[in-house]
Formats: sequence, structure tokens, C-alpha cells
Amino acid sequence: MNCVQARDRFAELLDQRLEGPVSGDIRTHLASCPACQREFASLRDTLDRLDALPAAKPGPRLRANFYAMLEDEKRSAAAAAPVAARRRPTPGANVWRWILSPLAAGGLLALGFVAGHYSPQRTAPVTIPATSSPDQATQQELADLRKKVDSMTQLVGYSLLQQQPAGERLKGVLAAQNLTQDDDQLITKLISTLALDSSTNVRLTALEALYQHADKEVVRAGVLASLTREQNPLVQVSMIDFLVAAKDREAAPTLQEMARSDKFDRSVRDAAKRALVQI
Amino acid sequence: MIADLTDFRISSGPANARLARHSNVDTTSPHHTDHALMLAVRDGELDALGELFERHHGPLYGYLGKLTGDRLAAEDIVQTVFQRMLKYRHTYRDDGSFTAWMYHLARRCAADYFRKHNAAPAATDPADLQEYADARPNAGDEAGISDDHAFLHRALNRLDRDDREILLLSRFQELSFAEIAGILECSVGAAKVRAHRALRELRDVYFQLQKEKTT
Ligand SMILES: [Zn+2]
Repeated sequence: MNCVQARDRFAELLDQRLEGPVSGDIRTHLASCPACQREFASLRDTLDRLDALPAAKPGPRLRANFYAMLEDEKRSAAAAAPVAARRRPTPGANVWRWILSPLAAGGLLALGFVAGHYSPQRTAPVTIPATSSPDQATQQELADLRKKVDSMTQLVGYSLLQQQPAGERLKGVLAAQNLTQDDDQLITKLISTLALDSSTNVRLTALEALYQHADKEVVRAGVLASLTREQNPLVQVSMIDFLVAAKDREAAPTLQEMARSDKFDRSVRDAAKRALVQI
Repeated sequence: MIADLTDFRISSGPANARLARHSNVDTTSPHHTDHALMLAVRDGELDALGELFERHHGPLYGYLGKLTGDRLAAEDIVQTVFQRMLKYRHTYRDDGSFTAWMYHLARRCAADYFRKHNAAPAATDPADLQEYADARPNAGDEAGISDDHAFLHRALNRLDRDDREILLLSRFQELSFAEIAGILECSVGAAKVRAHRALRELRDVYFQLQKEKTT
């Protein structure tokens, strides 16, 4: 072993992390080469001095600032907790997915299937989110679900099976806003229209009408569920805009998927990406 | 920035494999590993960060003091590092190493600081050097020793920032070279070569300064 080779391996000799014997070749060379001995000793010496260099001690301000910051964060985490708790078991989204999923990809066959054969009494228990316990809230959720399915079949019968012209259905949406006293009923109509109507124009109008109810979780969940089955990029982007405006964090996983998937139009992927930053 | 943080990967050594994976910890106990405490923080027990602060802020501050040559900057950066631990606690990984993560964050924060101050460390304030020297027990016994420290500080500050960084990191025995390479985002081989090159550079500068003093 020559000097160059030996010095290339000084790092190993100086690194205390290495366990086990270092190759005897270096030691043999070191023992017989005064120049390398000097080189090694000077590096060892520098390291020893570096390790012995005392570190400055922080002043008391650092600790005080840290604990003040920690308290701040705990307060804001505590303030955010009720929101998180309210949002966590969100059966709303599941309800809508359940209502809308059998209606896959549109089509009267599927609708007929729903109207004719789906009995909420029979199927509803299956759709209870696994995370929920059958407590009072769930019972209430079930009752709501049945009501929604009822109004759903009414709506299907009213607006789709009868095959009104789009202009009439549009009028229907607009009239519903003025005539319907009951918010829940109106929302159900609007979301069903958003999810099911064959006209882009009608769907966009329904979405527009939903803005004033964007603070309701069931509305956000309905739009999100409709988004997953929407085919038209224009409506998809509008729905994403809606979810951003509603600051719906529940939409994040869906949006992430959309941003990544090349199934979607470029404009939709871009909108999803932007939305992920904004919600 | 967020991507940088979440992309941070280090290969876990066998030591990490032994670390507790349960985060339901009594955070007042001194017996929990850093990793267990950080997992607890991630799961919402923010108080556990207090114990981590007590364990680590001293060495971290010392490191940043040497890296920046500026005590106030070091304090600010330590504060920012712990702030980011809270902010990005959800990105802390089950198979993570807390120390490596901390120095990874510290590196980012220090880089922000250097960018803002657009600076090689300011010429070291002699008062600072005096304080460094005084921090040592029995300081004042031998003026020669504090002189030595002052020279070494000056030599450190003359190194390129990258060299100083890797050299200081490589002296933390609790960090493996794999972790150091993870922090610096380079290969283990490159980290070792750079650390050794930085050591030779420090030696040369240090002895040069000594020589100037005696002549
Ligand atoms: Zn030799």
C-alpha cells in the first residue's frame, strides 16, 4: 500500500462509528511511513479540537419562546378539534354515494332498477358506514336516508322518466328554488338533478342554486358524490370550484385521485390540483 | 417545502427497528425514546414536544451556533425548527429517526436564514468568541485554550458553508452516515468523502491561522 492509498482510507480510521478492525494494510503502512504518521496525527488533532470546542448555551429567551409557541399551537389545535370531530364520521357522503352509485353511468335501466326494486329497508343496513355504531345518530341517519330515497324516486319519476325537455327541467330547477319551503327537500332535488340530469345546462343551474347551501355538509357531500360520476369536463371543473368555495376538505382524496388520473381532461386535472392547494 | 419534508427518507438502522411503535405514552416519563415521543406529538399529544425540546435544544443550538457563527440567529433557527416539527408533525414517519429528522429540518431552516441574510457567516464578533471560551469550565485558567477555541471558530467560519455543515454533522455520533447522507440528500459515499475533505480543509486553515499568529 502506498501513501495515496493509505490516506484515502484515513477517514475510516478516524470514524468512531466503524466497529471491528480496520484493514491491517493501513496500520502496516502507517507504522513505517513518518509522512503519513504526521498527516494522520494532524487530522486526529484537528478532530479532537473540534470535538472539544465548547458549544454556546442558549439564553432563557429560547425556552420561553418555545413554550409560548407550544401553548399557542395547543390552543389552536383545541379550537380545531370540534370541527374535526363534527366532520369525522361523515355519513353524508356515504349516504349520497349509496343513493347515487346504483345509478351508475346514467341510463333509465338503472333508474328503473332503483325505482322498482330497491327497498331501502332491505339495503340500508348494509350501507351503514362500518365506523358508525348503531346509536341514535345512526338511526336518525337511516330515517333521513329512507326519506331521501323516497324523494329520490319521486324526482326520478318527475324529471327523468317522464323525459321532459331540458328547458322544462331547467324551469323546474328554478321554480323549485322559489316554491320549495323545505330546504332539505330542495337540496335533495337539486343534488339529484346535479347527479342525474342529462343536460349540462340543467346540471350547471342546479349547481349554481346549491351555492347558497354550501355550508351544509350534506350539500358538499352530494356535490362530491356527483363529481365522481360526472363526465363533462365543464361541469367537473364547476363542481371542483364549488368544493373549493365550500372549503370541503373531505374532497381532498377524490381531488388527489382526479389530479393524478389521466382519465380526466387536462383542465379538470389542473382544477383539481389548484383546489388541493386551496381547500 | 412540504414536498421536501414529506419526501425525506432515511434508511433506518437496526437501532430504529427497536424503537417503540406505540405512541400512547406518558409523556412525562424520561424513559421514552425520542421516536415514541414524536409519534405521540404526531397523534396529538403536543406536550410530548416539551420533552423533546428539553433533550435536544441544547445540542441543536450548539450546532447552529457553530454553523452560523451567530448566537441570535441560532436561537431563531432552533425556534423555527421546533415550530416546523409541530406544523409538519403529520409527516413524521413510523420508521423515522427523530434526530435525523430534526437535523433535516434544521438544515432547511438554516438555508432559509442564509438565503435571507445572503451571507457567509458574519465575521465572528470577538465578544462571541469570548463567550464561547467562557462557556468552558475552568475558562480563564489558560488563556491559550480560549485562544485555541477562537482560532478554531475562525477557521470553521472560513470554510464553505457546506463543508462546515457536513463536518459538524459528522461529529454527531448518534447520526449514522446513512442518516447524514439523508439529511444532505447525497449518497453515503459522497457524504463520507465530503466530510473528510472538509476536515482536511479545516486543518489547513486552522494551522495557517496559528502560523500567522506566531509570525
Ligand atoms: Zn505514507
